Amino acid sequence: MADPNKVWPTGLTEAESEEIHRNLIQGTQIFGMIAVLAHLLAYIYSPWLH
Amino acid sequence: MIYGKIWCVVKPSVGIPLFLSAVAIGSFAVHLALVTNTTWVKDFLQGGQKTAAAQPQAVKK
Repeated sequence: MADPNKVWPTGLTEAESEEIHRNLIQGTQIFGMIAVLAHLLAYIYSPWLH
Repeated sequence: MIYGKIWCVVKPSVGIPLFLSAVAIGSFAVHLALVTNTTWVKDFLQGGQKTAAAQPQAVKK
């Protein structure tokens, strides 16, 4: 783990792996926010949970 | 970032589609269960409930 330029079995370095992970987390957060909004609208305007 | 190094040992070409598929299948399953186990979804999507419910009152007058 000491060498930051080490290429791991997947062909990525640690920095590249972290970059992919950042984007995946960001995408998940955006998806989550849209999902929360959609569920809020569904709760308000549909008989769901009423 | 926690777990940020996971893509050093899991190929993104395998892990990312697996992750997205898990989210999609899980979400679809929950919504399918909702549609098949409740009675109100069909009525809600059919619409027109408000006017149908309001009409008898109007007739009574």
